[in-house]
Parts: sequence; structure tokens; C-alpha cells
Amino acid sequence: MLSIKNLHVSIEDKPILNGLNLEIGTGEVHAIMGPNGSGKSTLSYVLSGREGYEVTEGQILYEGEDLLELETEERAHKGIFLAMQYPVELPGVNNMVFLKESLNAIRRARGEEELDSVKFMQLVKEKAKMVKLDEKLLKRSVNAGFSGGEKKRNEILQMALLEPKLALLDETDSGLDIDALRIVAEGVNALRSPERSVVLVTHYQRLLDYIQPDHVHVLSEGRIVRSGGKELAHELEEKGYSWLKEGAAA
Amino acid sequence: MSAGNEQSRQWFEDLAHSGQVDLPSEKLGWLDDARQQARQAINTLPVPYRKQEEWRYTSIDGLLKQNFQPVNDPFTALQSVDLEDWLLPEMDCYRLVFANGRCVPHLSETSELPDGVRVGSLRAALTTDPDLLATWFGQTANHSQHLFTALNTVLINDGVFIHVDSNVKLDKPIEVLYLSLALEDAVVAHPRNLVVMEPGSEATLIERFVSTGQSVYFNNNLSEIILNESATLIHHRVQDESSQAYHLSNLFLSQQKQSRYRGTALALGGAWARTEYKVKFLDEEAECRLNGLYTVGEKQLTDFHLDIDHAKPHCASEENFRGILYGKGRAVFDGRILVAKDAQKSDAHLHNANLMLTRNAEVDTKPQLEIYADDVKCSHGTSVGQLEPEQIYYMRARGIETAMAQKMLCLGFADEIIDTIEIEPLRQHVHERLHNALDRVVSEQLQAEEVA
Ligand SMILES: Nc1ncnc2c1ncn2[C@@H]1O[C@H](COP(=O)(O)OP(=O)(O)OP(=O)(O)O)[C@@H](O)[C@H]1O
Ligand SMILES: [Mg+2]
Repeated sequence: MLSIKNLHVSIEDKPILNGLNLEIGTGEVHAIMGPNGSGKSTLSYVLSGREGYEVTEGQILYEGEDLLELETEERAHKGIFLAMQYPVELPGVNNMVFLKESLNAIRRARGEEELDSVKFMQLVKEKAKMVKLDEKLLKRSVNAGFSGGEKKRNEILQMALLEPKLALLDETDSGLDIDALRIVAEGVNALRSPERSVVLVTHYQRLLDYIQPDHVHVLSEGRIVRSGGKELAHELEEKGYSWLKEGAAA
Repeated sequence: MSAGNEQSRQWFEDLAHSGQVDLPSEKLGWLDDARQQARQAINTLPVPYRKQEEWRYTSIDGLLKQNFQPVNDPFTALQSVDLEDWLLPEMDCYRLVFANGRCVPHLSETSELPDGVRVGSLRAALTTDPDLLATWFGQTANHSQHLFTALNTVLINDGVFIHVDSNVKLDKPIEVLYLSLALEDAVVAHPRNLVVMEPGSEATLIERFVSTGQSVYFNNNLSEIILNESATLIHHRVQDESSQAYHLSNLFLSQQKQSRYRGTALALGGAWARTEYKVKFLDEEAECRLNGLYTVGEKQLTDFHLDIDHAKPHCASEENFRGILYGKGRAVFDGRILVAKDAQKSDAHLHNANLMLTRNAEVDTKPQLEIYADDVKCSHGTSVGQLEPEQIYYMRARGIETAMAQKMLCLGFADEIIDTIEIEPLRQHVHERLHNALDRVVSEQLQAEEVA
């Protein structure tokens, strides 16, 4: 599904990612952990096509296609979805209108029929119920004045609605209460299928209790320094990251 | 005063003499007096120029270059206009239609007005209600005159006359549609309006200014609005004219005890459009809330001047204006709230926000509070910003194309104003107009970016 080779990325000439390699197979769930500032969000943003990130070296293939050639919205059309660490507020833009435009833009790009208002309403209500998002939030401006947890839930609602092929969740579990955490996990597990892949960026073992990852990676100073199975997450929870750095230096 | 200014005065004098006015003038000494005074004022009032604070950002040079002619017969040209094209679907209202400043009775719809309500042309009212006119005419507009208002008074030819008796509440809005027809000459009209709300009365007034074609003309409007005790007026104005149009509106609003005025002022198109609101609280506990929206693009100027006079205690005013600017569009927002020494417990808020879609657009915004009382709640604020790249990115990451994302954000910005219009067909109409304008703007802009 996704193949990242020797990825180097700079922000304003400052190198952030330094030769990152990562292979995500179709149907797999990967967790990426790592210290603050190691480049996890940078990787997520580069994958989703945010401006301001300069790829100085390396290659990213998504379903065999050069991802870096695609515009941000084209990536969304082709099934990439990033649940952001800091969802953006859109004052004045009604959440329902936004969700409908998003879904229909993607459907249009895929040559599918757009959903009319009635069908869309049904669908969005069903999904909102699934992620236990208060319907009142659908009537408000996107994320504007939402609490931290509400914003994250709204991201999960979008994910549930858009049913991406490759879902990237950047610390969606941070700042969530335990119930919300379970809902996020349910959302991800519902999406899980042999055709879809998921990348979870997280600091906490807890999410991984609910969503069992196939692979766990540690990102440090802009590259993957360790990969393993789900037991790696337990090890990290116990020992922190310093032992890895020492190991790398040795 | 410079020689240039005296040349400019000539333009006003020529215009003042050009109008041939054929109003019924019997027994109307008060009108003759008002005219006479205005004629003198044209010789003495200062000519608007850039060194005066009120005209600092707004040049009238474009106007002065035109040789405007009065319209003697708008009715012939009107025959080729289909009124239906200009009406809002599903709009249930009483209606007055004007063509280049003259009321067109056969297109107007006022036959089923409730008792105690007069809605018609000023011209007709001179015959039918001279006493009412004599009582109210010039009551609010005689202060803060400038040359354009004097010109309007000299050339009074027609306008709107609305009078609502005590405690009468109108069941439907009154809509005034000002059609400016495309005529060969550059023409000028001076609609003169008088709205009198007697104590306890309630009404909704919609004014829409449209151009039926592309031609140069000048609308020089003056409205006097009088809200007597506990009267309520909701007043929406939509100025949406061609890119050749010059438009000046002067609104004089005086409010008695516990009266309420709520309005929206929308400036969506024109070459040069200026609107001045002069609001005066004459007694306590009156309230004035005004929302405004302007969109202004290439070769256009839009200018709003608000003057809110808290002369009495316990009054509330709130003005919230937003602008969307693109191309080389220019906007001016000059809002001033004056709270007099004795006007304790005044509640006054003034806000202006601008969204700049291009680098070359320009706004001069100047909200001012002048407070002489000490126990008041007042605030003012202004902002000038661009669309946030982060917001565009977020929407694109959800599959929404850049042009659509920009449009949705602009509409979101404007909606805070538009959504305060409670009349569904009007709100829909304004939405549509804005949608269309933004479609054009956003696609032009994306093309420009591609070229760059
Ligand atoms: N716009 C920017 N300008 C300059 N430096 C930036 C910018 N964005 C990120 N960085 C830097 O890049 C590095 C990686 O940041 P990133 O957000 O990817 O880390 P992270 O692994 O997601 O951290 P966290 O766990 O705290 O979310 C940090 O040192 C950060 O300060
Ligand atoms: Mg991060």
C-alpha cells in the first residue's frame, strides 16, 4: 500500500526527517511511537500533502504511484486520510455542509454518484451515532469552539464517513477520556479490513490494547530506529526511549 | 480653498440648475423654503475633498468627470424591462418600484395595505398628505449636511413615503426596488425618502438597488427615518449595482424613547458606492443594531460611514461590518460612536473585519469611540486578514478543491452577517449573489496564480 524509501524532509531548510524507511502492507495496522519532536507529525503531514515541507531526497509510493506528484486533494480522493493532531477550526463553515462537500468531492473524483441531502443526512447521522458525536456539533462551524475531545471525535466521524484506504491517525488518542478512546478504537477496528491499512501515531500503550497493531515502529530524530511486533510497545512503556538511543549510538 | 475646489463646486452648481422639477407646489411653502436653503448651501458648504476627514479615503474625482443629466422620462425605457426578472421568488410583500428615481405606480403593489399605513411615492404624498410631510420633512436631515445632501434637497422630484400609524404592526415587509435603467446619457437620480413610524408601530423595510444594464449613472439618495416612541423598524438594504454605477446613500435616523432599529447594509456592487448612516438617540432606552457586508473588487470602491450619536443615557448600539476584498478593490469603513457627557449606561459596540483575497486590495478602516460619559460599556475593534493557508490545507486534505475551499471560507465569513436577515427569500437571494460573485473571483484568482 505504502512504501517510503530514504525519506529526507526539511522545514525551512531545517532537516526533520533523515532517511526514513517504512513499508505498510495492505490490510496492516502499524503503530508509530517516538519522543516529542522526533518527526511523527511531519511524516503524517508529508503524506497528506501539506505545503511547507520540502522533500529533499527519497521516494514515497502509494499503491505503486509516486505520491509526491499528487495534489493534497487528489491524495484524499485516492483514499488517504489524516486525522490531525491539531484539527483546524473553520469558523463560519457549517460542519454538515463541510462533511457533505468532502464526501461528494471524493465521490465525484472517483466517478461515483453524489449523495443527495436526504441520503447524506441518513448516513451522517448513522456515523455520528457510531462515534457518539453529539448531533448538535453537526450544526455548528467545523471545530470552532469544540473541546479537544470533540475535535478528535469529529476527525473520527470524518474517517468513518470517508472510509479511507489508508488512515493515518496522529495522536487521535491524546486528550481523550477513556470512553472516547474506546470509541476511536471501535472506529478504527470497524474500518479494519484486508483492503485498508492504518497508521496510528501514539504515545500510549493504552490505545494499542484496543487496536492490536501488526507492527510497531519507533521514530527518533527523523528516522525509524526500531521496528517490532506489538510487544515492542510494552517494552517502550516500561523503559522509555533512552535505551534505544544508547543502543543506536553504540 | 483651492481653485480646484471652486471648479468642483461648479459641478454641483451645474447639477443643481439642471433639474427641472415639476412638483405640485401649491401651499408647500415649507418645501420651497427647504429648497431655497439647500440652494444657498450649495454656494457655501465645503466641497468634499481629500483633506477633509470624512472624505480622506474617498475621492469624488470619478463623479466630477461625469456630465450627469436628469432623467425626464424613465417610463419609455422601462417598457423593455420585465419586472419579473428583478423580483425575488416567493417574496410576499408590499412593493414600490422606482425607475431612475421616479416611482412607477403601475408596477407597484400597495393596494391591500392595512389601515393606518401609507406606502407610496413622495410625489403623490405632496397632494394626499401635505400636512404629514410638513410635520416630518427635514426634521432629521437638516443637520450634518454636505453638498450631496443639499443637492438632493434642491432636486427633490420623487421618493418613498412611508407612514405607519400608532401601534399598527405591518403583516408583510415593504420592498422598494430601485431600478436604474440603462439610458444613453449618464443620468442622475435623487430619490428622497421619508419613513415615519408613529409610537408603538412596527414594520420591515427592504430596499434593493439594481441596474438593468451597464451604463454610467449616479444615484444620490437621501432617507429620513423617524422612529417615535417604542416603534420598531427592521431595515435591509441591498445595494447591488453594475460596475459602472455611482451610488451615494445618506440615511438620517432619529430614535425616540425605547424605539428599536435593526438593519443590514449590503454593498455588493458598483463602481463607487458610499453609504452614510447618521443615527441620533433623542431619548432613553433606544436601540440600534446594524450589520453590514461589502464585497469589492477590481476598479471598485465601497465606503461606509457610520455616525452614532449617543446623546441620551441608557441607549444601545451595535454595528458589525464585514468586507471581502479582491482584485484591486478598495473599501473604506469609517465608524464613529459619540457618547455624550450625560449619556450614562450607554452600551456601544463597533466592529469591522476584512478578508483580503488579493495583495492589491486595500481597506482603510477607522472605528472610533468618543466617550464623554464615565459609566458606559463600549468597545470597538477592527481586523484585516487573509484566508488561512492552514484552513485551505485542512479542507483539501478532506478532498475539497482549493477553489471550493476558498469559496466556502468566504461564504462562512459573510454568513455571520447574511444569516441575520430573517426574511428567507432575501437571504437566499443574497447568498446566491455572493456565490456567483465568489465563483468568478476565485476562478480568476486561481488563474492569476497559475500565470504568476
Ligand atoms: N513549521 C515548523 N517550523 C520549524 N520547525 C518545525 C515546524 N514544524 C515542526 N517543526 C519541528 O520539527 C520537529 C518535528 O516536529 P513534529 O511535529 O513532526 O514532531 P512529533 O514527533 O509529531 O512530536 P509530538 O510527539 O510532540 O507531536 C520538531 O523539532 C519541530 O519543532
Ligand atoms: Mg506530533
